[in-house]
Amino acid sequence: MEGLQPRLSRETILHGVVQILTDMTADWEDAFTGPIGPETRLVADLAFESIDVVQLAVAIEEHFQHPNLPFQKLLMRDGRYVEDLQVADLVEFLYTHLNGA
Amino acid sequence: MRTVLIGLDGATFSILDPLMEEGVMPFLRRLVARGTRAELLSTPNPLTPPAWTSLATGRTPGNHGIFDFLKPYETEEGIFLKLLSSRDVQCDTLWTLASRYGKRVILLNFPLTNPPPAISGFVVPGFVSYRHLRRATYPPGFYQRLQALLGLNTRDLALDLDYEKKGIQGLPPTEYAEWIRFHIRRESLWGTLLRHLMTQEAWDLAAVVFDGPDKLQHLAWRFLDPQCFPAQPSPWEQEIRTLCLEYFRQLDALLATLCALAGPEARIFVASDHGFGPTWDIFYLNVWLQQHGYLAWGAAGAPCDEEEGLLAMRMRTQYELFDWQHTVAYALTPSSNGVYIRVAQRPGQAGIAPEAYAAFRQRLIAELLAFTDPASGEPVVKRVLTREEAFAGRYMHEAPDLTLVLRDHGFISILNADAPLKRRREPKGMHRPEGILIAAGPGIPQGAVVPPLAIVDLFPALLYSLDLAIPADIDAQFPQALFEPAWLRAAPPRVSDAALPLSSSPEASTVLSDEEEAAMVARLKALGYLE
Repeated sequence: MEGLQPRLSRETILHGVVQILTDMTADWEDAFTGPIGPETRLVADLAFESIDVVQLAVAIEEHFQHPNLPFQKLLMRDGRYVEDLQVADLVEFLYTHLNGA
Repeated sequence: MRTVLIGLDGATFSILDPLMEEGVMPFLRRLVARGTRAELLSTPNPLTPPAWTSLATGRTPGNHGIFDFLKPYETEEGIFLKLLSSRDVQCDTLWTLASRYGKRVILLNFPLTNPPPAISGFVVPGFVSYRHLRRATYPPGFYQRLQALLGLNTRDLALDLDYEKKGIQGLPPTEYAEWIRFHIRRESLWGTLLRHLMTQEAWDLAAVVFDGPDKLQHLAWRFLDPQCFPAQPSPWEQEIRTLCLEYFRQLDALLATLCALAGPEARIFVASDHGFGPTWDIFYLNVWLQQHGYLAWGAAGAPCDEEEGLLAMRMRTQYELFDWQHTVAYALTPSSNGVYIRVAQRPGQAGIAPEAYAAFRQRLIAELLAFTDPASGEPVVKRVLTREEAFAGRYMHEAPDLTLVLRDHGFISILNADAPLKRRREPKGMHRPEGILIAAGPGIPQGAVVPPLAIVDLFPALLYSLDLAIPADIDAQFPQALFEPAWLRAAPPRVSDAALPLSSSPEASTVLSDEEEAAMVARLKALGYLE
């Protein structure tokens, strides 16, 4: 059964994530100059460090008003932290967990 | 009444008293003379995040939920480390309460204030990296004003995590001077910003943390402590001491300026989150756990520390040092001085069986207390606190299972080494429970020295100073000794029935019926707020 909250589409989530990432990295010294999209990688393209991932998680939870998202499911695989993430990975994770999985 | 809270992170009278006597801090000496001083006793593990949060909430860590910088979660994916933020503080704060009751607040450089609370006033949180400082300042748009005021120097307000870690781990001698100069510049920036806001904006509570005392004392304790400084210093040692004194001289001038701006009608509270003292030991706790069969290093091996280090420069690196399948007890951060015990939630999962937990923990405590320095035979671990002893409260289950108090109050090292205990080549500064409190202003006795206070007890004093009611459900006692009896009789502390949820309106708790008022007064007396 559907919850009371309307399901968020992947497009809506992608729009929100890109908005957050664009604002977050706007004044970074080594800012990414290309457009941010599903294939953008957080570490390789946006030069994210681990502390930036933490800030991104907080910003996402605030933006989508959804505290305590299980980011470990995104950031850990087989008991180890992942090396990098694409925006598309993030969107898929959010699509699953914002819509009540 | 207007109230200024000046946090001096890690400040201790054992350093400040000689500096006052030697004339390095003449203003602080005058402030002590016109006010009241006390030792301010920190949280069970004397550490910045839990201690400042206790001061700001009147709650012990077990009830505000902050025990360390990080929190490990045992999940199906593995041990997940979460960096704590303001959203992990599980109760109301001085700033949110004051703001809700109509007070204007300036809040600068306090830990655990990012994301910033939406208060009536201005927030620049502490412990925020430069990349995120713009988004972390409040209100929106304030960052542009901050940049206009400070220019490119804004960057120095932010946290450079790698630089901070280096400062705690130890720097090469060639980098000491710049480290101290950096903190002189940094405090000057916070001072400039606070001065700007105090003169340009309306405010009731102005609160700032100067974190340089902590940073300098970690690295340069032996240059600051008269007991440690050599009688015949080398030119370099003399240069570093001179720079340290320059730092404290500037800090004293900043205090003088801020207190002058606040004026004689304001109350001043200068407080630290914990004290400081020298440490010689490095206790490699995970090595000890490994030797006792409770921990296994990862297949890739864990290189032995040769630099007197406490932690890996990357937490991820540290995490991957362990073989989690064969580890039942571990330490993940030096700052917690904590041991986490893994309890298997189902058969086949790593950890001890739930029914074996109590006996396992007791055995671990006994073995830790029995560990002695091979050189002297002296016990290395002075006390081992269970989470029930150290962190009783609603969030106790998130605390380390055990918290160690080492014989010289050092932090443990979480790295691998060829022996569980080593002696440092030179002493470092580490946290101690005995911090400082100096209070001055209307209604505060002059020239008084009062018995030690718990850090939580400053919270009701600050609320009282702001003419606000004190929530009855806090973990603190009202520190009557900080105020003149006549003043308290004329303006007794008021109590509200509980801290409100963040969304509540102030009217809900401030207006009490006569019966409620009478009940509150009785409760107040029971809690020690009134005689």
